[in-house]
Amino acid sequence: MSDSLDALERRIAGLRAEVRRAVKAKENSLARSLRGELRRAEQAWDAAISSEAPTPAREPETSLLPIREQVHQALAMLGVPTSAKLIVAVNDAFFSRELRGSQLTSLRRDEERSFRGDPYARPYYLCAALTDRLSPARGLLADSTWPAESRVLGPLSPRVDFLTSTMRIAEHLARLAEPPAGAVRLLSRMAQNIPGAVEGFAPADPATAIRAARAELEVHRATDAAQRAEVAARATRQLPDAERLFGVTAMNTLRGAC
Amino acid sequence: MNSLRERAFLNRLDELRGTMPARPHDARAIAALAANPGCARRAVMDAAGVDKDRAARHVGFPAPFGQSQFAITRGNVFESLVKENGCAELLRLLRELLGLSVAQVGYRDVESVGSHLRHSHTRALIDRAAREDDGTAVFYDHPLFSLEIAGHTSYLEPDVVAFQIGGRFHIVEIKSFGMIDGQAEPDKVAAAARQAAVYVLALRTLMADLGHDPERVSHDVVLVCPENFANRPTAALVDVRKQLSVLGRQLTRMTRVEYLLEGLPDDLTFDLAPGEDGVPTRSADELTQALLQVPARYAPDCLSTCDMCMFCRHEARACGSTDLLGRQIRDQLGGVSGMHEALGLAEGTREAVEGQEEIARLLRLADRLREESLR
Repeated sequence: MSDSLDALERRIAGLRAEVRRAVKAKENSLARSLRGELRRAEQAWDAAISSEAPTPAREPETSLLPIREQVHQALAMLGVPTSAKLIVAVNDAFFSRELRGSQLTSLRRDEERSFRGDPYARPYYLCAALTDRLSPARGLLADSTWPAESRVLGPLSPRVDFLTSTMRIAEHLARLAEPPAGAVRLLSRMAQNIPGAVEGFAPADPATAIRAARAELEVHRATDAAQRAEVAARATRQLPDAERLFGVTAMNTLRGAC
Repeated sequence: MNSLRERAFLNRLDELRGTMPARPHDARAIAALAANPGCARRAVMDAAGVDKDRAARHVGFPAPFGQSQFAITRGNVFESLVKENGCAELLRLLRELLGLSVAQVGYRDVESVGSHLRHSHTRALIDRAAREDDGTAVFYDHPLFSLEIAGHTSYLEPDVVAFQIGGRFHIVEIKSFGMIDGQAEPDKVAAAARQAAVYVLALRTLMADLGHDPERVSHDVVLVCPENFANRPTAALVDVRKQLSVLGRQLTRMTRVEYLLEGLPDDLTFDLAPGEDGVPTRSADELTQALLQVPARYAPDCLSTCDMCMFCRHEARACGSTDLLGRQIRDQLGGVSGMHEALGLAEGTREAVEGQEEIARLLRLADRLREESLR
């Protein structure tokens, strides 16, 4: 739009110069027709500028969902244990855009308290991902309804989860008719760390990103699945319900569970 | 050193420190040791674990540095950017730099065991990685090493340790100063290299301790910095062999601090025992006298590494020492005892004694050039 404005401004300036020349040369009829043209150009310019006036920025629609629902929405889309930072970024790119990192800090603790007070009262809980020592992994959130294998981590899992979440974001992006710019940026940033997923600093193409991520995922999948199954089996065998979701924090809890 | 002498030596160090608890060294402090190996004052105070910052403050020469809160925040943000999503950015960089294969993506957060077990867990993980060589874990995040310095154990936290198939460990150091057009500020890189050398040394000590070949820890450290003016990380290999040898020499020298102590009076102490109001009970004058007993070797780069810098600079100024002019000029002025003498030689008011002819000629030439250019 601003291109046409530039063209109009150039045209107006040119017409004014011509009008001046015509008046100077006393060519009245030419001057009159030029003036008419100038006026039309100015009207077109007026119309263009008013249509260009920034449409009032989309008011961040206040989401009616509580914070845990919003986090759950992002987690459901990604399908893997995710750091608070990425949850906020995904929420920002696709959903309500009003989640802040600081709101997530006590979420896991609140969920744990709720679960311990009244187990399985809610349809889902936002829980921890368990490390191979069955302790909660730092900063990661997961969904209690996921199978145990997706809620534990082996050494390869951070990479596998990163590739999976990139694929999920790309898939979601491919489904949207008008992909939001923020989401494309998020995908590009993530795809830059996957070999062959994106050319230089160009915006990532979802299909290419998915292909590249899947190719690397194939390399790790089997080993990761085996390692995760082992940890998950151990967690199921050794831990009571609450610890299975929220992890073992102190050594004595583990000893009590064995 | 036999055990009796060792005990006497440690007692002597305790006396020097007085009643205050020993101050643990961090990697920065250990690296700074290597920056000025010739300074006896620093060697003695560090070996005794004296709180140099408090001492400098008490004698009225507080150090002008300390990291700004903004710099710390910026550093932390950049580090978390490099490490997020299981070190995704770092993985890209190391694939380019070290040619990691696609299968090598393992990541272990040592901190998952809780802080009290981090050191032993680091030990166990490194031992397993060195023994099995299965390449499952490539990154160890938040490791904790220890290094014994003059009888005290210091704990060190490198940013990341990378393990590569082919069995070599690399220390990764994440710094937030910019690498612009492939170049970073030399003194910042030098400081980072010295710091990384401390980690390399600590990991090599650990490897030797576990019965593995210490040479499996690479002397090339990976330095990760923001590229140009953006926040995108880039990486470069920095060879720290030189820093390692200086550091090794300096640390063995610390155990030889006893030779430095021999020349000092028996009742010397840097005691900073606080009174009820928290201010050291000793008078500042007394402490100053005690400090002056140990010779320092001031150099202008002390200003960025040592807490005592302002005190030593004041001392060097008072006696007109050539140290103030920097190491290079001080070495060129070898045989000339002070600024006063150098100026005398230059202006011809002083006769060159034997051995000073060459430098006197140069000084006179410099003086003549200055006169001519000012005319």
